[in-house]
Amino acid sequence: MLKRNGLFVAVLVFVAVVFHACFVKNRATVHPSQIDFSALPLKKLSEYGFFTGNLSQMQPNEKVLAYEPVATLFTDYAFKKRFVWMPEGSSATVDADQPDDPLNFPDKTILIKNFYYPADFTKPTGEKRILETRLLVKDNGSWKAYPYRWNDDQTEADYKITGETIPVSWNDEHGQRHAINYAMPNKNQCKSCHNQQDAFVPIGPKVKQLNHSITYADGHTENQLTRWTKLGYLNATSETIARITPLVSMNDAQASLDARARSYLDVNCGHCHNPKGPASTSGLYLNYEQKDPFHWGVLKSPVAAGIGAGTFKFDIDPGQGKASIMTYRMNSVHPGIMMPELGRVSIHTEGVALIESWINSLKK
Amino acid sequence: MKLLISGISALLLGVWLSSCNSSTSQQSKLDVATLPKASPEQIEKLVEQFIDAQEGQTIQIPEGYFELNTQLILDKVNKVTIKGAGMYKSVLSFRNITTGGEGMKIAGNGIVLQDFTVMDAPGDCIKTQHCEGLTFRAVNTTWTHQDLSKSGTYGIYPVQCKNVLVEKCEVSHSRDAGIYVGQSENIIVRDNVVFENVAGIEIENSDNAEVYNNLTENNTGGILVFNLPGLPKPFGSRTKVYNNTIRNNNHDNFAVASAGQNGNAITMVPPGSGIIILAGNEVEIFNNKLIDQKTISIAIASYHITELPIPNHPGWSPFTTNISVHDNTFEHKFGVPDLTKDLGKLIAAKCLKSQDIVYDGIIDDTKGKDVTKNPMNICIGEKQKDLRFSRLLIPASGKVTDIDVFNDLNTFNTCQVAVQTSPPVM
Repeated sequence: MLKRNGLFVAVLVFVAVVFHACFVKNRATVHPSQIDFSALPLKKLSEYGFFTGNLSQMQPNEKVLAYEPVATLFTDYAFKKRFVWMPEGSSATVDADQPDDPLNFPDKTILIKNFYYPADFTKPTGEKRILETRLLVKDNGSWKAYPYRWNDDQTEADYKITGETIPVSWNDEHGQRHAINYAMPNKNQCKSCHNQQDAFVPIGPKVKQLNHSITYADGHTENQLTRWTKLGYLNATSETIARITPLVSMNDAQASLDARARSYLDVNCGHCHNPKGPASTSGLYLNYEQKDPFHWGVLKSPVAAGIGAGTFKFDIDPGQGKASIMTYRMNSVHPGIMMPELGRVSIHTEGVALIESWINSLKK
Repeated sequence: MKLLISGISALLLGVWLSSCNSSTSQQSKLDVATLPKASPEQIEKLVEQFIDAQEGQTIQIPEGYFELNTQLILDKVNKVTIKGAGMYKSVLSFRNITTGGEGMKIAGNGIVLQDFTVMDAPGDCIKTQHCEGLTFRAVNTTWTHQDLSKSGTYGIYPVQCKNVLVEKCEVSHSRDAGIYVGQSENIIVRDNVVFENVAGIEIENSDNAEVYNNLTENNTGGILVFNLPGLPKPFGSRTKVYNNTIRNNNHDNFAVASAGQNGNAITMVPPGSGIIILAGNEVEIFNNKLIDQKTISIAIASYHITELPIPNHPGWSPFTTNISVHDNTFEHKFGVPDLTKDLGKLIAAKCLKSQDIVYDGIIDDTKGKDVTKNPMNICIGEKQKDLRFSRLLIPASGKVTDIDVFNDLNTFNTCQVAVQTSPPVM
């Protein structure tokens, strides 16, 4: 009996040790705070511990915080869920003199952006297909991009750097069927947009984009900057925040046509088309802060637009929404003509309509 | 100032028949059918090599025909050499990519691109931005559409770079400029063969450029030196263009599919243009052979001639100043200038036959009121007898019938401009 008990205890101890080892090992990868940054990129998305429970539910782990820019980048109508995580005791800061810059994030910040399509856009929380998760990780002062491709079973996403074309389909809000070949960019294509003075930078998390309220998973609706501050993720005075003009959503009925159009151009074009961006070569600056109408395209003839100029003389010909290079390029899917040149294979009809009506409203 | 030239064709109706397209004399030796087709694994490996590139590394492109479905991007890695097995042996085709305009996109210092072909990119074949120390050697870029108006924009496209060398390359079928160096400094473009582009070689908003020993043949315009408004590098100065053979640049302007124009100044270039200086400063053009351009061998023009708005941008000027044109040789067998573009029509209507040198005579009022006092310092020292020189006098109204033409070469052949370039040592 004693012997058997001894064996039992031995087995129990063994199991406990193994369990403990597994548990510890498991624990090492179940929360972002345990990530070994020198080992990045990890092979699988699940190893980061951003989410709890079933991975495809994208339920954020402790201190993994959802965020939403007020004006969103068009990516072939894909839905996006964005999260941010920062290490304990560190926070982002703001430079009010650089309103186009993203928040100044601390080292080891991770931005998590998930791209998915609900099967039926009228049921956005229903059945969905996640295609990719893009991570931006700041380490030793610089940002790195790590793209992950979701498997068809939606159980895991694997690190993949060469990009891919993925056929996807959905029914839109009006019940209309869409099918496209979604283009997951290759790793270096990320830098084509995430680029200021050749340094890799985030695009979305700027004060002008985050200074609005969203409803959090806990049911509370709250201004994001307030929530970030409470959580210790943001260290900025309200005076600093107040100096930065917020963008507006293109669907904001309260906002002026000008604010909606300029916000749309800021988020969809301004990350490249600004004096520090790769499209500075064109002299076309579409960030919201640009004050000179020539630089945002009014009666500006192109420099290196090539076939992108179509039959038109100016980026914006005031009063001529359809006969302007800007809408011509937005309204194309030819890769030599279309703008933005990455991130879409279809036309954002509503965006084109917005910019067209805005140009129509402009006086010479 | 406006050039109201529309309707001018009526003046010419029945006077000339439109000239025939000239035959192609340059042909590429590129033949992708004879090359082994790269496997999907080889292609994936090449894409990964660009993404994983480390400083000092050489990326070898094996012999073969690579059909890529994604861009090749080198992201700010220094001292990388990208080397193929030969210009006609390692061939990268981007005809299947669906996002991204450029085929190859390069940023980094100390970059060498050598011995391969890039073809059929939807926008530019090879764009290099923010490079310091950049060599293109024996690189071919081309488009293979039957319809040239389906070509992409630039073949070889360094922009915002320093110390650039483009040599022994073959560049054809660009819908804009074959070799286009923009907003850069310290540039050598030499020993290239450039054919059937809209513009052969273009130097734009750049300083210290030397363009020599090139053959530009059967483009719409052979060599352009331009300054455009509103750019981060507002202006360029000091370009020398010498010892080039600029032959038969009479190709249709296919920069816009139908015969028309848009805001790209390139769409206004008349077929039969050898060298065009637009809003240039300190440009010396000498010892070139200019053979059989049907409209203008050398044009010296202000940005006003484009009829585009003249923005007020600090550092930029629409006027062409401090030009030296000397010791070139001119030959012409075509008698019929272009009739498809306004500038060509103007030459046809006012000069009646192709011209060796045309100066639009548009001057900066702040530098002088009288063009016959040569306030823009345009210096022409050609030794050729019977040089066909025309200076235009465009009235404020811009009415074509009121434009006068003068052949007063003596106004411009007494001054001298010494252009000092400091090209890179490479």
